[in-house]
Amino acid sequence: MQSVKRMYETTFIVNASLDDAQIEAAIGRVQDVITKNGGTIHAINRWGRKRLAYAINKKTTGYYVNLEFEAPGSIVALLERSYLLDELILRYLTIRLSKNALKAKAQAIVAPQVQDEPIVEPREPLFEGGEPEEGEPK
Amino acid sequence: MRPQRTNTPYGQRRSRREREGQLSRKKRTCRFTEAGTIYIDYKDEKLLQKFISEQGKIIPRRITGTSARFQRQLMTALKRARHLALIPYVSDSIR
Repeated sequence: MQSVKRMYETTFIVNASLDDAQIEAAIGRVQDVITKNGGTIHAINRWGRKRLAYAINKKTTGYYVNLEFEAPGSIVALLERSYLLDELILRYLTIRLSKNALKAKAQAIVAPQVQDEPIVEPREPLFEGGEPEEGEPK
Repeated sequence: MRPQRTNTPYGQRRSRREREGQLSRKKRTCRFTEAGTIYIDYKDEKLLQKFISEQGKIIPRRITGTSARFQRQLMTALKRARHLALIPYVSDSIR
């Protein structure tokens, strides 16, 4: 039971006011935690510097990194502890990828066009007949 | 000074509800069901933006027409995205 491995996904925000070398070092540290504790990294997605929707620790931009990895469940606690200790990391989120998430991912790789197409058409009739509060009849 | 029946708030509310009932006859459909979505990703900022109001509030499914099943998924996705500062918790138009 101990060695059941699952797919996880973790996203974290590194302080973007640092130079690239420091950011890379922080990313490397996270990767180390995963690989040294019996996990394997499947993908690294660097979203790069982005504006935060709200200030975190008085910072308005952050460097986003998203990691997909496969590991035993015990790794999550270790990973999150390392996030807490790392002062360069502003925010993090680790989730287990559900069956459907994996299915969706597989589908997206196989047929990216099929996924794109139906999303476009129902854009217009999404909201009709305004806010419910408005227009109190007199 | 007995309030007239048609002017009471209850009377108004009822008539408004009826009117809304008429409006919603224009069919609203769940975009996720239509698109055959199987998973709503918290990383899809653009998509999630459509389901929050200008203030950053989550729009009820009564308005968007999202099916219950996908509204539930949407809620987790929105909350995850909020945590990662992809979408705001609150955004005031008055600054």
